[in-house]
Amino acid sequence: MENPIYYRVKKIFSSMFLQMFLVGVAATCIFPLLWMFGSSLKTQSTVFSDMSLFPKNPHWENYYIAWTKGEFGVYFFNSVFYTAVTVVCIVIFTSMAAYGISRLRMPGKNIIFYAFLAAMMIPIPGAFVALYAILINLGFINPGTGVDLLDNVIKRLGYILPQINQGLSLGIFMLKTFFDKIPKDLEDSARIDGCGKFGVYWHIALPLAKPAIAVIVIINVLYVWNEYLLAMLILTDKSLMPLQRGLMVFQGAHMTQYPLLMSGITITVIPIILVYLFMQRQIITGITAGMAKG
Amino acid sequence: MRKTLLSIFVVFLIGLSGCASKQASTVESSKKVVVWHWLTDRQDTFLELAKMYKEKTGVDVVFELYAPSDIYSQKVRAAAQTDTLPDIYGILAEKKDFSSFIKAGHVANLTSYMEQNNNEWKDAFFIKALEVNIFESGNEFGVTPGIYGAPLDVMNIQMLYNKSLFKKAGLDPENPPATWEEFLEAGNKLKAAGIRGMVSGWGEIWLIGCFAYDYAFNIMGEDKVIATLRGDVPYTDPDWVTVFRLFEDMRDNNLLASGIVTMVNKVAEQAFANERAAFGFNGSWGVNVYYGMNPNLDYGVMLPPAYSSKYPMRVLGGPGGSFMVNNKSSNREKAIEFLRWFTSKNQQAYLAKETRNLPANKESLSVIPPILSHFADDMDGTYHWNNLPVVEKPQVTEMFSKGIQAIIIGEKTPEEVASEVQALKERL
Repeated sequence: MENPIYYRVKKIFSSMFLQMFLVGVAATCIFPLLWMFGSSLKTQSTVFSDMSLFPKNPHWENYYIAWTKGEFGVYFFNSVFYTAVTVVCIVIFTSMAAYGISRLRMPGKNIIFYAFLAAMMIPIPGAFVALYAILINLGFINPGTGVDLLDNVIKRLGYILPQINQGLSLGIFMLKTFFDKIPKDLEDSARIDGCGKFGVYWHIALPLAKPAIAVIVIINVLYVWNEYLLAMLILTDKSLMPLQRGLMVFQGAHMTQYPLLMSGITITVIPIILVYLFMQRQIITGITAGMAKG
Repeated sequence: MRKTLLSIFVVFLIGLSGCASKQASTVESSKKVVVWHWLTDRQDTFLELAKMYKEKTGVDVVFELYAPSDIYSQKVRAAAQTDTLPDIYGILAEKKDFSSFIKAGHVANLTSYMEQNNNEWKDAFFIKALEVNIFESGNEFGVTPGIYGAPLDVMNIQMLYNKSLFKKAGLDPENPPATWEEFLEAGNKLKAAGIRGMVSGWGEIWLIGCFAYDYAFNIMGEDKVIATLRGDVPYTDPDWVTVFRLFEDMRDNNLLASGIVTMVNKVAEQAFANERAAFGFNGSWGVNVYYGMNPNLDYGVMLPPAYSSKYPMRVLGGPGGSFMVNNKSSNREKAIEFLRWFTSKNQQAYLAKETRNLPANKESLSVIPPILSHFADDMDGTYHWNNLPVVEKPQVTEMFSKGIQAIIIGEKTPEEVASEVQALKERL
């Protein structure tokens, strides 16, 4: 039998090694963000010559220039709106569909489920031309109603709907696996208490699926917030474009204005970091629960 | 609960309709000439020019920017398939794809407009810039002969040298090396002064191949280069071995910056702009890049120093972007008129001044920045791989360039590389 001191020392060393490893991993994650922030305060000429992480003479005005030159005011509102609407719709539609597929008796529900799974294999960029043709034929790209306000509503919907569609498959897949695990007894007792089908979904299933919903929210927030290609394809009016359009102003074919680009990226990253900070507990629970079930 | 839902619905509706744009949408408007482009760094200047045109003619021109270029290309293709192309646009594709747009009726034939008033519009361009938009009679694509686009700019790739570093090394900044011997001597002087020699994006193999071809034209002439591409002259020919040996010479005379074989062009541009190398090998687009990184950079442009006096030194060059007019547009005539104005002397000079790119209109050279003028001086003597009657196989081109990289790092001799390239060509 070995000395208990041996175990204690072993535990301390292995814990130290683990902590050091985790600090190293965390540093590799944080370093690009710090570098981005530091670069955003340099000038176009010092960004390549000043290798310090934080410049001696920070150019805070880069943020003002990036905000105004990139017209971030309009784009910021658009991105917040697109992200909020798309994510809310995805959560509502996927939770309803997943609950229906998981708990309700209906013919062909497995076929529908597998069809959604198959749709996950088709990335939007692979279907750009077809999508463009469909949206043109449905009148989402050039509505031409003659009323600016109505035209804008239709064009925005033309951008939001494909993104909701894109988010459905993964959401349904994740939530169905959660709903499958809910004990039937819970539903039965809710019914005894007078809940209908929708009541069971709303009062029982949905609250239990919060961790999974948090993961769906963060995945889709990231996707919609960073979406750019679809906007370029579908939207023609600059005032309807999302935030990523503002970043493009700083990147030319041969020339990139790095400090302004970094300022712009810092601005765009802040909301994502905030969303993650507010929801991190649910996200971690959701991911670990998914792993345990998987 | 109901009130909350109602408020959310109202916010949603406001959001959907929010920021109602005064800017007319693109394709549906027939009063405006709509231009789609991918040139991010020129958007502001394009908008200024549109403003000038509006003041002059009363016609509204809307420039819509869609970048990067790959997504722009997808948008153009999708719009072509749904007949929703704008009045003016660019096609970023090989000539074969370009021809399919023409055959589908999406591109207006500009020949009659170009040839009006004794070829006034046509002759204003560098022929090298226009070539890419011309389909000759009997062309392999079956396209009706004609000119199907107006070029915006041109480019060529030359050598650049830092005048301040030249002075430090005791070299004459007004007389850069003109011969190969002078070039090698400059390398040793720079080394003695502790200054790095040449930087270039030779990690991107096309640039290293471009440098080699410049010297192939100088050493053996165009006919022999073409004969090699056809397979009539082997790469083991002494002239080709001489081309390969030039890289060995440069390495041995300290002309190449360390790490040049893995250097991407953006890194090379940074090094040259920040005065960390005396020579650069880069395209005319670099003028704008260097200005952005170091506006005070004092540098000159020179042809690569000639190795032989038998044939002229030629550099790779050709068109930049071009604009086409939508043949199905109800604004066709307005669009052509705008394009004519847009590519004329004053507007091209303005564009060159503001964006520091080489204009396609040769009449504007007298009023563009001097450094661009130097690039433009050699435009007529440029060559382009796509315009040669024969094109080398991609595998051979790759081995050719990688072989040169191997010579620079001392892995292979020029003779070995010549034999390997030839063996591959014969195998394919």
